[in-house]
Amino acid sequence: MAFKRDKKEEEDGGGNPFENIEKTSVLQEARAFNDTSVNPRKCTHILTKVLYLLNQGEILGTTEATEVFFAMTKLFQSKDVVLRRMVYLGIRELSSIAEDVIIVTSSLTKDMTGNEALYRAAAIRALCSITDVTMLQAIERYMKQAIVDKNPAVSSAALVSSLHLAKTAGELVKRWVNEAQEAFSSDNVMVQYHALGLMYHIRKTDRLAVIKLVSRLTKQGLKSPFAVCLLIRIACRLLEDDDSAPGTDSTLLSFIESCLRHKTELVIYEAAHAMVNLRRTTARELAPAVSVLQLFCSTSKPPLRFAAVRTLNQVAMSHPSAVTACNLDLENLITDSNRSIATLAITTLLKTGAESSVDR
Amino acid sequence: MEGSLLEPTLYVVKGMAILDNDGHRVLAKYYDKNIFPTAKEQKAFEKNLFNKTHRASAEIIMLDGLTCVYRSNVDLFFYVMGSSHENELILMTALNCLFDSVSAILRKNVEKRALFENLDIVMLAMDEICDGGIIMEADFNAVVQRVALRTDDIPLGEQTVAQVLQSAKEQLKWSLLK
Repeated sequence: MAFKRDKKEEEDGGGNPFENIEKTSVLQEARAFNDTSVNPRKCTHILTKVLYLLNQGEILGTTEATEVFFAMTKLFQSKDVVLRRMVYLGIRELSSIAEDVIIVTSSLTKDMTGNEALYRAAAIRALCSITDVTMLQAIERYMKQAIVDKNPAVSSAALVSSLHLAKTAGELVKRWVNEAQEAFSSDNVMVQYHALGLMYHIRKTDRLAVIKLVSRLTKQGLKSPFAVCLLIRIACRLLEDDDSAPGTDSTLLSFIESCLRHKTELVIYEAAHAMVNLRRTTARELAPAVSVLQLFCSTSKPPLRFAAVRTLNQVAMSHPSAVTACNLDLENLITDSNRSIATLAITTLLKTGAESSVDR
Repeated sequence: MEGSLLEPTLYVVKGMAILDNDGHRVLAKYYDKNIFPTAKEQKAFEKNLFNKTHRASAEIIMLDGLTCVYRSNVDLFFYVMGSSHENELILMTALNCLFDSVSAILRKNVEKRALFENLDIVMLAMDEICDGGIIMEADFNAVVQRVALRTDDIPLGEQTVAQVLQSAKEQLKWSLLK
C-alpha cells in the first residue's frame, strides 16, 4: 500500500501530459493543419488535444469549431492511417457545432467507396453524422451497397448509422429493409445483431410482419447471443399485446423457455428475466426460470449474482412462494462483499423468508 | 411489475468512462441526451461514482438510476453504464471488451501514463466499441484490428520470445503492486 502511494506521488509530476492544455493555445496550434505539407505525427497529436478538450466538456463556439473543422479538412491529403481515422472522429465530434460541415461530403463519399476497409467503415459513420434528409438521397445507393458489404466492419457501420438516421429520415431508411435482411444472413455475429435491430425498427409498427419475422427466426436459431436477447425482447413485446393471433403465444413462450438452456449466460439470464416479468406467466411456469436464477446466485461473478438476486427480488413481490426454494442461497448472499447484492438479498428474504431465517 | 420488460432496441449503453485514481475524467462518453445533458452533471455523477467504487472491487453498482459495471487496474477505472433495467451481462460484455482492448493497445501496461501516450488510439477504440449507445463490437481482437495500430507496432503474434517475456514480467510486476 505504501509502495502504491509512492508510485502515485512520483507520477503526479508528469502523469497527465494533457493536464495543463488550454483551449486558446490548442486552437492556435490547430492552424498547423493548414500547412502545405502535413506532418502526420504532429497533427495527430494536436487533433488528439482538440478531441480531448471536447471530451473534457470544454465548449467551442460556432466560429471556433468551424475554423477547426475547416482546418481539419485539409488533413485529408495525408495518407497516415491514424491521422485519417482521427479526422473522421473529429468530423463526428464537431458536426453538431460547426457550420457548413457538408463541405466534406465528397471526400467522405470517396473514402466510403474506396478500397481501404479501415477507412470505409469510419467514413460511413462520419458521413451519416453530417448528412441531412435532403442529402441522404444522394448517398442512398452507397448506403445500400455498404449494408450488404462482405466486410463486417463496413456492414455494421452502415447498419448502425442507418438506425441513427431512422430518427430523422425514417421513410427513406424503410426502403433499405431488403438489404438489412440480406446482411442478417452474415456469418459475423455483430452484423447479425445490428441487422436484426434495423429490421425490427423498420417493421415494428406492422404487427403481422413482426410476428412473421419472429416465428421464422425462432425456428432458424441465431448465432449471435446479442441477437437472441433482442429476439427474446421482441417476443415479449408480442406476448404483452393482447390481440395476438391464436397459436403464436405458445410458440413464443416455448421459444423463451428454450433459451433457458442456451449455452451463454447472457441469453439464459435474459430469458429468465423475461419469464418472470411477463404478465401471463403462471407460478408453475416460473419454476424453471427461478431455478436458473438460483444457480446464478452462487457464481463467482458479482454482476451475475447481482442480476440474479435483483430478478428474484422482483419475483418475490408477486409470487413469494416461488422464491422460497432459494432462501438458503439468498441467506448466503447477505454477507456478500458487494453491498448492493447483500441489500437485495435481505429485502428479498423479508418477503419470502420466515422470521427464523432472517434471524440467522 | 409492469414496465420492467426490456425495450427491444439496440441502444443499450448509456455511457462509458475511464477515470484516473483521483476520480478525474480521462475519457468519457454519454449517449443519452436525457441523462446528464451537460458536462457539469456528468462530472458530478463521475465524482459520486468514483467515491462509491474506488475502494470496493464489487464490479457492479446501481447509482442515480443507472446500472454501472466497473473494473480497475493500477491507477485507472473503467466504467460502462446502462439503464437500471438493462441486462447486466450485456453491459459486462461491453466493459470487458473496453478493458481488453485498452489492455491490448497499451501492451498490458494498463496505467494512466501509458494511456495518455496512446490517447488517440484509445479514443478510436472506444469509438469502435460503442456508437451512439449501440454496441458495435464486443470482441476486443476485432476492435484492436480496426483501430489501426501504428506501423511501428508489432502485432502480438509476431513478437519475439524476448518481447513476450518482457511483457510477462511487466504484468507480474503490476499484479504484485496492486
